[in-house]
Amino acid sequence: MIPAPVRRPRATRVHQALALFVAAVCALLAVHPPSAFAESYTKISGSGSTWSANAIEQWRRNVRQQGMTVNYASVGSSVGRQQFKNGTSDFGVSEIPYGLNDLGQQDPPPTRKYAYMPIVAGGTSFMYNLKIGGRQVTNLRLSGDVLTRIFTGRLTMWNAPEIKADNPKLALPARRIVPVVRSDGSGTTAQFTLWMSKRYGSLWNDYCRRAGKQTPCGLTSYFPVIPGSGFVAQSSSLGVAGYTKQSQAEGAITYVEYSYARNAGFPVAKVLNQAGYYVEPTASSVAVALTKAQINNNPLSANYLTQNLDNVYTFGDRRTYPLSSYSYMIIPTKEENGFTTAKGKTLSAFNNYFLCDGQQQADRLGYSPLPKNLVEAAMAQTRKIPGADATRIDVNKCNNPTFSGGRNLLIQNAPYPQACDKKGPDQCATGTGGNKNTTPVGNGSSGGSGSNGGSGSGGGSGTGASGGSGSGGSGAGASGGSGAATSGSGSGTAGTGGAGGTGGGSVVDPDTGEVISGDQAAGDTSVAASPVSLGADDSLGLRTALMALSAALLVGVVVGPPVVARVMAGRTRRKGGAA
Amino acid sequence: MRISERPEAPAAEPPRRLYPDPGLTDRAFRGVLRGGGAFVLAIMLLVGGFLTYRAWQALSVAQWGFITTETWEPDGGNFGIAAVLVGTILIALVAIVFAVPMALGTALYISEYAPPTIRQTLISVVDLMAAVPSVVYGLWGLFFFQGHVVTLSRWISTYFGWIPIFEVDGVDPRDPLATATVFTSSTFIAGMVVSLMVAPIICSVVREVFSQAPVGEREGAYALGANRWGMIRSVVLPFGKGGMIGGTMLGLGRALGETIAVYLIISPVFVIQPHILQNGTSSVSSLIALRYGEASEMGMSALMAAGLALFLMTLVVNFVASSIVARSRSGAASDS
Repeated sequence: MIPAPVRRPRATRVHQALALFVAAVCALLAVHPPSAFAESYTKISGSGSTWSANAIEQWRRNVRQQGMTVNYASVGSSVGRQQFKNGTSDFGVSEIPYGLNDLGQQDPPPTRKYAYMPIVAGGTSFMYNLKIGGRQVTNLRLSGDVLTRIFTGRLTMWNAPEIKADNPKLALPARRIVPVVRSDGSGTTAQFTLWMSKRYGSLWNDYCRRAGKQTPCGLTSYFPVIPGSGFVAQSSSLGVAGYTKQSQAEGAITYVEYSYARNAGFPVAKVLNQAGYYVEPTASSVAVALTKAQINNNPLSANYLTQNLDNVYTFGDRRTYPLSSYSYMIIPTKEENGFTTAKGKTLSAFNNYFLCDGQQQADRLGYSPLPKNLVEAAMAQTRKIPGADATRIDVNKCNNPTFSGGRNLLIQNAPYPQACDKKGPDQCATGTGGNKNTTPVGNGSSGGSGSNGGSGSGGGSGTGASGGSGSGGSGAGASGGSGAATSGSGSGTAGTGGAGGTGGGSVVDPDTGEVISGDQAAGDTSVAASPVSLGADDSLGLRTALMALSAALLVGVVVGPPVVARVMAGRTRRKGGAA
Repeated sequence: MRISERPEAPAAEPPRRLYPDPGLTDRAFRGVLRGGGAFVLAIMLLVGGFLTYRAWQALSVAQWGFITTETWEPDGGNFGIAAVLVGTILIALVAIVFAVPMALGTALYISEYAPPTIRQTLISVVDLMAAVPSVVYGLWGLFFFQGHVVTLSRWISTYFGWIPIFEVDGVDPRDPLATATVFTSSTFIAGMVVSLMVAPIICSVVREVFSQAPVGEREGAYALGANRWGMIRSVVLPFGKGGMIGGTMLGLGRALGETIAVYLIISPVFVIQPHILQNGTSSVSSLIALRYGEASEMGMSALMAAGLALFLMTLVVNFVASSIVARSRSGAASDS
């Protein structure tokens, strides 16, 4: 009781200070947020396509600073449509509409009220992982026919003559082609299989028949895989792109949106168009192609604004990328399944953002911006969202890069393909997609002089050919793996070719023994052959001996110490007993 | 001891009555506990009932063929779980083969060898391993781990390919340009990734049992001249046998149902694939994750039927596990 009066003033002071502090914090917290966020938006969430996910992901990060929270789950178009139908998401994103026939199976439209609106354009590209002489190929060109044959299992080796015909300047290795397809329901698969069924129907139907599906078989969201055919199926765009870029997946090719190849730092195949040019799916080549897309312009139709791409596939413009398409958002047009006007406000503001400012980034992200007519139509669709702020949706205030003064600048300024991209004996060396490094182009099979590259120090008997450094002379710069393949028992490493001596040797690919760089550039240091180890012929080689040795060492490490310890302990005990 | 001899307690207090009525508090408590137990059981029954109800449509179409058919085309009426079920079991077995030695070693080290100062940290680390979301394991397995396991797969297939399950079709060890992709997305890799997820569960169960090995018997073993390993072999391991089996079965139950990591890694095929090193496998849970976006009613019912099969299988495994754990003699005297 006595110390209490002494303590009390201190306690009060502490309390006062604490109260002041709390008040200050409260004041700070109370004042700050309204100044940062002019408007409040309700959180919305959607799901669907992985094809357009890279763009949506960027846009939703951009609108976050305006106070909008838009969640997006890139789970594939099929799941996106399903979740929208079940009312578990506020919007869906898909490349294909409801109601299409997917290998004899109907996808019925939802009972809730909805509308389609295009969000972004892009090209379904073919990302590949292929090396020639240890060097990434970046300028592969493929015709539609070859692509279809690859993805229907009819072309299995990279050195097939059909692929060679598309790439006259590349010495393609005798490596297996590993087509990587999507295992989940995917709009990308739907777009690709639609293209194959429309353009190469007989090949595609033949594949479907072999896969045990009904024919004729049109588009499908689920790529049918024949077991044991060497196809690899992975889920999501990120999954197939991630699989393809791994080093052990050499020889793989997959179909993804162009942005995934760019992000992965990998090249994409240039695809042959109707005009006879091999074209990369850049923003401008996609935009040019899609001028031929037939958009359903009947606002009363259930599929209003959806695309018919038949004329895109066969468009005769030199700049066209044939596998171009739009991606669609499925938006609700009625307050139901938990969709409110407050959510409608957020969704319409988000749409307004990406139809205008967001399209500025489309090119950089690996997509192509929407043209004016589609932006206008999409804005009309956005106005149907309950709670949309119609006054702010104005095409005249729209900062879209494609239209300026009534002209589509993107198409007007689209560059024409180079002459070396024309189908024929020439081939451009420039890189594509996410890998812009050039690939040296040589004379390929017609490469006159140095084609007898294997004549160096080929199949030695003991350790195999440690090739390379052919001593000038006849100009055989490197002795390829073809020499080593004949070796008796050696586990030889094929030459680290490259530095072609002094006398302007031609560089020979160790994979095939073909000449990949037959020009006279002396000592072309930019080419390096990959060392290829060959398995020993008999099982009693050095490798087996080393393996046995390491196994013995491992057993020794595990078993040795206890045994030694026991022996020593036994000796000590005996000694102790004796003493 | 001190509490019992309360000096202020009146000597005249009557002895505690011993009769069946435990009083209101105890009765309420017992009621809550019984209610909780019954609730869990009811949920399980409802899940089973719901799955059976939704699966009925598919099961009535597929009949017994549901167990023997390999393909999965619900809309063509031709579907079954033979392939996916075999894949599920193989992935789980691979996971157990890798997880059990890892978990047992960790548990033994933590409970017997680790210095007390770091013991708690190690326990937290193992628990943390169990807390990592499976999608993280899946992405790690897909983007990093797979590339390294391929080398091991290739080695095994080269030298042990004559054992049927290690055989890989279309691989020629002498072809320098042979693609490594035949070894990717396999049962083996999926199982190894799943093993990392089940190991912490097995480890914590087993460690708990090991730490309960009676002190008297441990000291008895030491007194008879055993060193530490001798003591572990003669006391801790026999004592923990039930726990080891039970923990393994619990891990097996988890491995059977693992979804996202498997979904990310495997390349699904619908044939029975006994070659564990070869590209292409399937599992029930990843099949459900892959195909639930499919629209048709029949497809959904077929997936429910597959889910029911998985539910029953996990139930059996867990039931066996719990009965083994219950019958193990935790706390009783050891018989070596």
